[in-house]
Amino acid sequence: MTQTLLIWAQYLLLFFAVASAVKILIGPTGADRLIALMILSSVTLGFLVLTAVEKERLIYLDVALVYDIFGFLGLLAIARFLPRSLMRSQEKDTGKPVRRKNEHS
Amino acid sequence: MSIAEIIALLAFTAATVFGCAGIAGLFLKKDAYSRVQFGALTSTTSVLSLFIGLIFLSPSVGFIARIAVIIAFFLISSPTASYIVTRLLWQSDSSG
Repeated sequence: MTQTLLIWAQYLLLFFAVASAVKILIGPTGADRLIALMILSSVTLGFLVLTAVEKERLIYLDVALVYDIFGFLGLLAIARFLPRSLMRSQEKDTGKPVRRKNEHS
Repeated sequence: MSIAEIIALLAFTAATVFGCAGIAGLFLKKDAYSRVQFGALTSTTSVLSLFIGLIFLSPSVGFIARIAVIIAFFLISSPTASYIVTRLLWQSDSSG
């Protein structure tokens, strides 16, 4: 029964990963792709923990913890540099410069 | 079927419901903030339910302790990531 549950959870995570990969491909905005990347990172973490429990190997859990930390740092780095590209695409669409909402004139 | 397996089954069912709802909202919602909300539902609540189920299927105490550490970090990092994406969306004014 335990093996059946674990296999069910694996197929579930596989479905989430495929759906978020499709969302990364189709977008349409950069923020959408970032959300999908966040989901894919969490699903990968869940898959690592699931594999550790299924194979009864502790090392996978250490890998999962490190993956979680670096995944979060990667998302921070992308979020740091994404606004410029988002604004640039908006400027291209609208033809006028985009200003941040909390900026003073 | 033991008690631990029943609890794991309930947790996996919750993960399925939360995850499928989040994926459906991610594709169907028109508003960008709603899409972030549903994305956070999948990435945080669904995976957290899965971890809770896996705790009950763990073979030893070492697994439970490590999964608890992963859950503690995940509970900090995942909502923070959702907040960062939402703030980015707000600042770049691309919600339409």
